[in-house]
Amino acid sequence: MRQQYALRSQVLAGVMAFVALAIIVQMTRIQNSVEADVFRQQSENYAYELKTFYPNRGEIYDRNGRLLAGQTTVYEIGVDLRNVRDAHAIAFAISRELEMNYDEILGVLNDPPEGIAYMVIADFVEAQKALNLQSLKKALQDQAPSGSYGGLTGLQFNAHPQRSYPENTLASNIIGFVNREGKGYFGVEENYDNLLAGNSMQVLIPADPNKAFEIPKVPDGTTLILTINRDLQAAAEKLLDESLGEYGAREGVIVIMDPRNGELLAVATSRRMDLNKFWNYNTIYDNATDFNPPISKTYEPGSVLKVLTMAAALDSGTVTPNTTYLDTGSILIGGVTIQNWDRNPWGVQNMLGCLQHSLNVCMVSITSQMGANTFYGYMDSFGFGHLSNVDLAGESAGRLKVPGDSDWYPVDLGTNSFGQGVAVTPIQMLAAVSAVANDGRMVTPHVLYAMVRDGRQYNVPPQYAGSPISEATARTLNEMLAISLEAEASEALVPGYRIAGKTGTAEIPVNGFYSSFETNASFIGWGPADEPQFMIYVWLEKPTTSPWGSETAAPVFSEMAQKTVILLNIPPDNIRQQLRALK
Amino acid sequence: MIHAYRIAPWRIQRQWIGNALLAVVVLAMVAALYLNITSQTAVAGREIQELNNTIILSQQASSDLHTELASLTSATAMETRALALGFRPIEPNEVEYLVVPGYVKPQPVNLSSESLPQLSMLTIPPEYNQSLLDWLDERIVTSRGFQ
Repeated sequence: MRQQYALRSQVLAGVMAFVALAIIVQMTRIQNSVEADVFRQQSENYAYELKTFYPNRGEIYDRNGRLLAGQTTVYEIGVDLRNVRDAHAIAFAISRELEMNYDEILGVLNDPPEGIAYMVIADFVEAQKALNLQSLKKALQDQAPSGSYGGLTGLQFNAHPQRSYPENTLASNIIGFVNREGKGYFGVEENYDNLLAGNSMQVLIPADPNKAFEIPKVPDGTTLILTINRDLQAAAEKLLDESLGEYGAREGVIVIMDPRNGELLAVATSRRMDLNKFWNYNTIYDNATDFNPPISKTYEPGSVLKVLTMAAALDSGTVTPNTTYLDTGSILIGGVTIQNWDRNPWGVQNMLGCLQHSLNVCMVSITSQMGANTFYGYMDSFGFGHLSNVDLAGESAGRLKVPGDSDWYPVDLGTNSFGQGVAVTPIQMLAAVSAVANDGRMVTPHVLYAMVRDGRQYNVPPQYAGSPISEATARTLNEMLAISLEAEASEALVPGYRIAGKTGTAEIPVNGFYSSFETNASFIGWGPADEPQFMIYVWLEKPTTSPWGSETAAPVFSEMAQKTVILLNIPPDNIRQQLRALK
Repeated sequence: MIHAYRIAPWRIQRQWIGNALLAVVVLAMVAALYLNITSQTAVAGREIQELNNTIILSQQASSDLHTELASLTSATAMETRALALGFRPIEPNEVEYLVVPGYVKPQPVNLSSESLPQLSMLTIPPEYNQSLLDWLDERIVTSRGFQ
């Protein structure tokens, strides 16, 4: 009996051993079969998910830490089609909250495109609207009988950041904007797009829950601090708007720069855009140059360029401040007669009178003495015809015709000397004239003050664009311009502050001829004259109350300068000199 | 001793059964341990996910509040509020300058922070994300590489 049990046990053990062996053999066979490689490959494909982590776009601040461009949360609202319980409820809720078409939403929910499980209904939805929908979804879920689903089941919300501009239209021409694909356009947003956007990071995330993984800390895009002073920018924009109305000008520009280092403190333009509604771009601007005219719109500057002609004449030794000439009211150059702005003779004048009365004949006379090579050599050194390298997108180089160009004629030497026949941008004028205010050193205008990355701030050092004139020439001309303003009792003067500067009135070419009625009125000035801390350029396009820069742009300059000294804490000359004496 | 086993062969069977039961118990303990570790890992993973979501939500909320604060203190908003409170822009002739010893003019903002720089490299050592089989596999591959 026992032997019988033993036999049975051995047979059973043998069978079980055989089965176990068969299982092992089968496992080994499956593991090494041709199909196994395919399945192994498939499992590897699902073992990891390649996920891209995008950094937050860097913020933009003004020089005093005021936020100009940041982020705000918006929502993508979609539907998980597998979990929809009540398409009518979803369509109704979305159409009410997001003001969308009920029938269209319902149609899409009932008949979704083939092969999709999730469908985006709306993106970039304001947080409040998304939260309203979320609350409604929760309320319906709470009201639903136990174990059943709420009417908005399947509705999903994905939060993501969107660029936001808390100052709306302020400094829109400087900042530029970011579209919904995250690409920067115009201004700082375009020029520093790579820095602001940062670098995305791709990471393989294991599907196996036993495998730990670290979510990468993707560094945010670089935060930028601009040289712009928000309050000064607001004051400049407000004054410009008022001035356009007061003088009947079509467009205008006010640029304020620190001539010591090229920091742009304010760049005001008459056309501005709410950057949070960048899709209105086409309704506000006719073409790309309208977005930021101070750097991209060229024009004939007129008499403000006489500052540079005189700088060249003084520096080359062609004249001294006391050099005199007889002004007969007209002069012939290249077969064309050039006249003064008032078409009158001014008799014997020295160079101070030449600047004070803004005499075209004088300028033509001294450039004739200087010679074309010397004159254009200086103009080239002042940067005309070249980019100023301002760190804003869309800069134009302007045009300076020189001897040898097919369209240059000898008369151009004369007209160029008083700012006609040459195309420049306001930023080029500021850069060039900064040499006069800054002891002969020309600055590179810029808006970037510092970059902040990984918690550290890197300040950007000022850059200089050479010294086209000597320190002595700059100081002499600075003094001449200050005296000429005082002697003229210019409307540009600022009570309590000694200012240097020059008006400009340029006729605008209409159908190939200069119009005496349509002008570009401008003024460039800086102060305090003995220690320049600001330089202001005003350009009014086609003022209608008066064509003259001295009667339109000059008073705007004065008013802007008065606001500037308050906002920049620059005390009047007498107090400043007392303070300097105390040190 | 041998004699005792001869007259009572069930002792051998009991020994086999005992060994088998021991193996089962050991396996059950390993399985229980594995299950426990796996469940703990899953819970920890879920908690990490939730914490990460909380961090992201906090960052979004912080960013939103930062932008909202900037909107509330924008140039236009501040001017409107100031005018509503009865203030008006100062005229140049109303400004009085006082000499204050030691006064330093405000300097542009400095946004440097004291916090550590953000990490951009993955720093988890393999011990934390390798299974025993992965580790064995790596050892085998490494030993083959040395041969």
